[in-house]
Amino acid sequence: MAMLKTILGNLLRPSRTRAPADMPDVPTVYRGALAHDAARCTACGTCAFVCAPKAISFTQDPGVSVSWHFFIGQCSFCGLCAQNCPTQAISLDAEVPTGMNSAAGDGLRLESIVRLQPCTRCGAAHVPLPDAAIAALWGVEEAERGYCPDCRRWAASARLRSAFIPAAAEEVHHER
Amino acid sequence: MNLIERVVAISRRRSPWICRLNAGSCNGCDIEITPLLSPRYDAEQLGVELHGTPKHADIVLISGTLTLRSREAILDIYAQVPNPKAVVALGSCPASGNVFAGSPLVLSESLDSVVPVDVWVPGCPPRPQAILDGIARAARLLEDGATKSQLQNWQGRLS
Repeated sequence: MAMLKTILGNLLRPSRTRAPADMPDVPTVYRGALAHDAARCTACGTCAFVCAPKAISFTQDPGVSVSWHFFIGQCSFCGLCAQNCPTQAISLDAEVPTGMNSAAGDGLRLESIVRLQPCTRCGAAHVPLPDAAIAALWGVEEAERGYCPDCRRWAASARLRSAFIPAAAEEVHHER
Repeated sequence: MNLIERVVAISRRRSPWICRLNAGSCNGCDIEITPLLSPRYDAEQLGVELHGTPKHADIVLISGTLTLRSREAILDIYAQVPNPKAVVALGSCPASGNVFAGSPLVLSESLDSVVPVDVWVPGCPPRPQAILDGIARAARLLEDGATKSQLQNWQGRLS
């Protein structure tokens, strides 16, 4: 009798085989496709340096932008880039893109463009630091926010000089 | 397309038999094919059956870094698969060589330069879901007559 009940139940219930669209979810810590946040990237090149299969590369358009390139067909999903990124601009999604019909395009290659900005003091094009990094390093209210690395160095040394020789502070400001 | 051709096309999609070819892989991708045939992912619901010989297969799954020696084996086995056939490249290695690119006996180029590839499944190794999706895509291409081998034959017939 119990057997008949089971058979009847199985006839009425839908199939227990999972359809391809209804696959088990993966945990969020799984390493999948890379995502790049251009607003947080400083184009320091650490990700390209630590990438063992050389899936990440940078190209420059001098004075305009720096491009971050990623070829998923060369990635081994080790996560070193995300682990070593000083500004957390790279993150690994849990999901991985599904099959592609060609190796050249449609999702296997990613490009993310970091625009250069002119320095507010000398006008040289530089990669702007992300707001979070500026806030962490120099505080939120910071006069040298739009400075290029050279001007930052100059401003830091000027501050240092004026701390030792208060009279030199005036000269430094007139210098440029 | 008459009725018989339509039935043949549909049956190509409904029962794609696969043949697995390891071209110098670390076995990661091949291990991911095993759960694909288990009840959890159940590739057989799509009519997929794993066969040992390429002469019975419709879809060839190629995994692994291409080496100078495996290149000839790939060409040989690809030639043994009856037409129409589809090729699914598993993982990063066939696309570029992955971490092995630049090694002395490794062809640091994509599998496309050896045999025409229809579907690329990204991942290192790709997850069983992704492999299943790749096989389903290849089966759909076989039904539509849109795999590269079918398109090439069609062009060959025209000229």
